[in-house]
Amino acid sequence: MQTIDARGAFCPGPLMELIAALKLSAIGDQIEILSSDKGSAADVPEWVAKVGHKMVGVTDKGDHWSIIVEKAK
Amino acid sequence: MAAAPLYILLCSGEHEKIQMAAMLASVAAVSDRPVRVFVSMNAILAFEKGKSPAERYHGGEFSRLIMENKVPDAIELFGQGKMLGDLTMHACSMVMDLKKWEMDHLVDDLFDGMLGLTKFLADAETGELLTL
Repeated sequence: MQTIDARGAFCPGPLMELIAALKLSAIGDQIEILSSDKGSAADVPEWVAKVGHKMVGVTDKGDHWSIIVEKAK
Repeated sequence: MAAAPLYILLCSGEHEKIQMAAMLASVAAVSDRPVRVFVSMNAILAFEKGKSPAERYHGGEFSRLIMENKVPDAIELFGQGKMLGDLTMHACSMVMDLKKWEMDHLVDDLFDGMLGLTKFLADAETGELLTL
């Protein structure tokens, strides 16, 4: 699984980094994004639902979130 | 059902408004929503080719915070929106005439051409129009 460390980046940086990585991935690939941006834990699942990918999980790691997304289309 | 296009009329030269326009445009474009940006008045000055961020952006408290922190640059955000979604940008033909600028005065690979306000407004009837 590919991990993108976007900690320290502000909105919408983490989301844009995730989208760029998904574009280069194959269907079924999972990508983890690490984000300290307070909005990402809600924004990323919202975007994933909107465009039709699959949320695998969001985990609060204390000073950041781990968000795992599976490319579904 | 496809989302209605988002039309953004960007005329302020204030950094915070340009940043907000770039955030709205890029996030909407990557969320499968067509975005059409029309840049006019003082906003066009921020898109002049060859400027540093300090020369390009002028604003208040949040302009300073944006430039001091890892906030995505507005020009880069517009570029990402174009690359990853359906986003077009047009320069207002009137301000380009007033400045005696051609398209090569503007940042590379961002604009799709010049457009008049009448055409932009007519197109905007098909979607939602935001003015910044």
